[in-house]
Amino acid sequence: MQRPFSLVLLVASLTHAAEPPMPAKIEFNRDVRPILSDNCYHCHGNDAAHRKAKLRLDVREEAMAMQALVPGQPEASLLIERIMAEDADEVMPPPDSHKQLGAAQKEILKRWIAQGAEYQPHWAFVKPEKRPLRDDRNVHPIDHFIQNTLEANGLIASAAADPATLIRRVSLDLTGLPPSPVEVDGFLRDASRDAEAAYQALVDRQLNSPHYGERWGRWWLDQARYADSNGYSIDAPRQIWKFRDWVIGALNMDMPFDQFTIEQLAGDLLPDATTSQKVATGFHRNTQINEEGGIDKEQFRIDSVFDRVATTGTVWLGLTIGCAQCHDHKFDPISHQEYYRLFAFFNNQDEPELKVMDPGVDAGALTASRKELEARLRDYWQANADRVVRWETGLTPEVRQSLPGHVRRSLGVAEDKRTLEQQLVLLGAAGDGDKGFEELKNRYQEIGARLDKGPTTLVMQERAQPRRTTVLIKGDFTRPAEEVAPGTPAVLHPFPQPAALPNRLDLARWIMSPDNPLTARVIMNRIWQQYFGRGLVETENDFGLTSTPPSHPELLDWLATTWIERKWSLKEMHRLIVTSHTYRQSSRNRPDLQEKDPNNYLLGRQQRLRLDAEIVRDVALTASGLLSSRQGGPPVYPPIPDGVLNQGQSKRIWKESMGEDKYRRGLYTFVYRASPPPSLSVFDAPEGFTTCTRRIRSNTPLQALTLMNDNGFFEFATALEKIIQQDGLESAFRRCTSRAPQPDELELLEKLDTLNAARVLLNLDETVTRE
Amino acid sequence: MNPMNPEHALRDLTRRHFFSRCSMGVGSLALTSLMAGRGHGAAPAPGPANPMQPKPTHFPAQAKNVIFLFMAGGPSQLDMFEHKPLLTKLNGKPIPDSYTAGKRFAFMDSSHRSDLLGSRRSFQQYGQSGKWVSDLLPYTAGIIDDITLVTTCKTDLFNHAPAKLFMNAGSGVFGRPSMGSWVTYGLGSECDDLPGFVVLQSGPRGPRGGAVLWGSGILPTTYQGVPLRSQGDPIVNLSTPKSISQGQQRQLVDAVRELNLKRLVETGDDEISTRINAYEMAYRMQTSAPELMDLQGESQATLDLYGIKDARETSFARNCLLARRLVERGVRFVQLYDTNWDHHGGPTENLEKHLPEKCLDIDQPCAALVRDLASRGLLKDTIVVWGGEFGRTPMGEVRESTGRNHHIDAFTMWFAGGGFKPGLTYGETDEFGFGPVDKPAHVHDIHATLLHQLGLDHKRLFVRSQGLDFRLTGVEEAKVIRELIS
Repeated sequence: MQRPFSLVLLVASLTHAAEPPMPAKIEFNRDVRPILSDNCYHCHGNDAAHRKAKLRLDVREEAMAMQALVPGQPEASLLIERIMAEDADEVMPPPDSHKQLGAAQKEILKRWIAQGAEYQPHWAFVKPEKRPLRDDRNVHPIDHFIQNTLEANGLIASAAADPATLIRRVSLDLTGLPPSPVEVDGFLRDASRDAEAAYQALVDRQLNSPHYGERWGRWWLDQARYADSNGYSIDAPRQIWKFRDWVIGALNMDMPFDQFTIEQLAGDLLPDATTSQKVATGFHRNTQINEEGGIDKEQFRIDSVFDRVATTGTVWLGLTIGCAQCHDHKFDPISHQEYYRLFAFFNNQDEPELKVMDPGVDAGALTASRKELEARLRDYWQANADRVVRWETGLTPEVRQSLPGHVRRSLGVAEDKRTLEQQLVLLGAAGDGDKGFEELKNRYQEIGARLDKGPTTLVMQERAQPRRTTVLIKGDFTRPAEEVAPGTPAVLHPFPQPAALPNRLDLARWIMSPDNPLTARVIMNRIWQQYFGRGLVETENDFGLTSTPPSHPELLDWLATTWIERKWSLKEMHRLIVTSHTYRQSSRNRPDLQEKDPNNYLLGRQQRLRLDAEIVRDVALTASGLLSSRQGGPPVYPPIPDGVLNQGQSKRIWKESMGEDKYRRGLYTFVYRASPPPSLSVFDAPEGFTTCTRRIRSNTPLQALTLMNDNGFFEFATALEKIIQQDGLESAFRRCTSRAPQPDELELLEKLDTLNAARVLLNLDETVTRE
Repeated sequence: MNPMNPEHALRDLTRRHFFSRCSMGVGSLALTSLMAGRGHGAAPAPGPANPMQPKPTHFPAQAKNVIFLFMAGGPSQLDMFEHKPLLTKLNGKPIPDSYTAGKRFAFMDSSHRSDLLGSRRSFQQYGQSGKWVSDLLPYTAGIIDDITLVTTCKTDLFNHAPAKLFMNAGSGVFGRPSMGSWVTYGLGSECDDLPGFVVLQSGPRGPRGGAVLWGSGILPTTYQGVPLRSQGDPIVNLSTPKSISQGQQRQLVDAVRELNLKRLVETGDDEISTRINAYEMAYRMQTSAPELMDLQGESQATLDLYGIKDARETSFARNCLLARRLVERGVRFVQLYDTNWDHHGGPTENLEKHLPEKCLDIDQPCAALVRDLASRGLLKDTIVVWGGEFGRTPMGEVRESTGRNHHIDAFTMWFAGGGFKPGLTYGETDEFGFGPVDKPAHVHDIHATLLHQLGLDHKRLFVRSQGLDFRLTGVEEAKVIRELIS
């Protein structure tokens, strides 16, 4: 593996078009580590099983012990001798590795050794420090960092986007819905009086909107690999939408991220865990379940634990911990054994369904009265059993045969094995029951039905008796090796040893420890990615040794430390980011930026971003006036094209929703993992097989076909046509783009029939893009 | 140019905007100017023209198209092509220490060894070349003198999704451009009513890794592969809504283009250029895709050749025939994924039952494709590639049924047409088929060789990114394997 580009080189090349200058003082992290990590660590790194010649170069003492490094003396260092060798048998890296060091890289290594061969720990494993801002200019801290780098490269930020663009941008980013023309007018009016106050108020409104939780909930659900079916080849439906609603609710109330994490990883282990906290543990029940016949259940249980370890590592730590499932991690200091110590935390659960009552139902009282009725019915049975037996023995075979099925089935059960339900059936069939009995029975059954009603959701539940966890050789569940206790990788902050055997709650608390160097950075980076299309660390799922270095390391650390200071409030951080000039600047390209930074790493402008799949739908629904604002509840089944569900092993049901449910937001659409709704997957919505920390943004003819021809979008167009007929083209245009059309645009649209004009509007690049 | 025509006026504006006022590259403009001086110096096309328009090669090409038959999961070369009597003889025994001493093994060490598993298939020699082929592949045996076998293929990564990415993109890193996108980027497409890079799938599910396998990474998204469904409508939402006429549909596409073009000028966002082309392509696909998928014009003899029983039913065989029809229409890169080749030995993935089933699915169609292309004169211009992301170990995974683990040191691929030497077997593996004893063929070398046949020098296939020239095939050393080609 090698990284695509070095940002150090980029920044250098922006100032000097030619070769990057050789830095006077070599810095290990900046200059040396990328060379060693890309070219040497594969055979001389952390993976003991794979290590060649017993040499490791990732630990200074060990490299010195082998004479590979002699600090201060490059000419005496074997490392230099071997990289400079001309003989194919001698030279490192060896020719068959297909790696080769350039002259500049060799020079860096020489100088580094000459300067003492000092190592530095990998930046991401060192706790971020809050550093004071270097100057006292009265600028937003985010802009301070971004503009410093821009200036160093002879660039400046772009001007602020115009107010109409801005309200559409911030509405789509915070709630996933475009503003209505009325909202736009109001904002333009307010902004003309006091632009700053109007914008701050707008941001407040958006953050307080219940749709905020839907938009950012979907961001989290990607990472939680949420979907509505079991996956694998059978892919039967499952019920876990209560977890989806929990996420939306938690974000809307701005639950601090530490609590948000702890409840999802270990809500069931909290003292007096509430139903809500148990529902939260659905996070790790979003793994696939294999229902094929003839499988080894244990194999797939282990697979789901593997997924939980890998997902926890990726989502919270930004580490590819899953790589250590079969062997020591090749690049990062995570051993095979440490992997299974993490595995042990996730190996002690049962995986039940939890029934979740409607808030209005007092399940405790109902259960108590059911118990009481049950006792009274049992007494009644005792008193009347003889009568039933007499009736039973008197039955002729013919009469018996003529009885209803459930009566015959109850009779078929041995007398002492009959359940209360069966006894009640027979009491009823035998007749002569008094009125009191009938009433008792009805009340009993009615309470039972009320208790049975209400959705279930998948949750985690700690076992009283923990499972034994061992290292699995090459990740093979049939090949256990030494036993391991739960624990965390030594390279990260210490894990406080509790008195008892550590469990998931201890793990969750360890993750949210302020000493953790990774989590705050990783999550902030992923939020940044939503706003600018790319994280400050481009490899948003890997902060390990092979990650790309952050484009703005100080900004990343500032965001991470500020977040902890602000008690893990996500809304506070959203507010901070969207009120920066960096966020508010225009996304239009500029010749100088195109020349010097065409991919916008330095953020001299905002970035036009095609909307996420669900929001493409939401925008069309909003523009056409069809959107249902109903929130939460079971997933819905809007119309989908024929024939997309009959592939695969099992037939999937798609009972098309009626009424309002046809027009719900995209995130409520039922998703079968193996055959997700095409209008979502064509716009890169994830299927929920594994955690998704970054959606790709494709741009294909298939998207064009969807917006032009899909039944759903065609229906939206017919509704938008009515709006054109009633309110005029200009109004419809504004509903789609939040801006007024220019005269030539209007002229062009007026030439079309109203239906086609509506279709055009829903098909515009601008309509499906956040600018 | 008529200045009264708004379209022309806008295009004119666009051009002036980009050439004089802004000098910003957009769409094909960016690409053509980018390529100038690197052998790609075609004159800039007007407006945001089709980025897929054919481009000159670096040097004369031997082939124009590629059909990559991807056996997703890793086919067992030791039960199909690699005849290893000693492996059979030592079945159940550990690899002798003397044999393995000093050897470099991928993801193996002494504590992780398992025992050798001899193949239970019977092998015979075929053709003039006398190449051994197992009884699983009678049809492939029949074309053995027409294909080039490489038994010493070597890759770097041993898990499915990363290894598939590596085979497709030369890197296991998420988001790199894939081979099909390199080729359409470098050469454009000779087909203007179908995508230049098409993906067809068979097997119970999509390949692990999914859409990133045919993604375009840092290249414009125009170059990513387009999957065609082989069941129902070839493409979801291909048909115009019932109440809409052809004329109205054309009007829609035209109006969307005009408005998008205007926005492109205003924002300078290259993605709009991609979207404009996507709409044009979508419109043309509405006619061409149904025609492509309609096999009624194919003779019964052709269907029989491929072993297609029901021309409407999804199968690898049908996809092979479609692949021929696609290259016939000028589609540059066709990739067929057939899944479920991951035979570890479990109850649903073993060498006894499931490998033979997979071979039955693919053997006849693969051979038919080569024969059919040859008989139509298409084989000389088309490279057919057969292989998976890696191969399987000589050591077995023995439970109630047998299987093999992933193996990256030596596995078999074959090539046909496009200037590859027919009948040649390249490379030799040791007596267990573990590693090459001669002529390893690394994935990077295979990439370089394929591109070479298409007239592209992998060292000169760049995209400008972040002020640096980013080599699409990656920075690792790669060499054209001259012995493979004539």
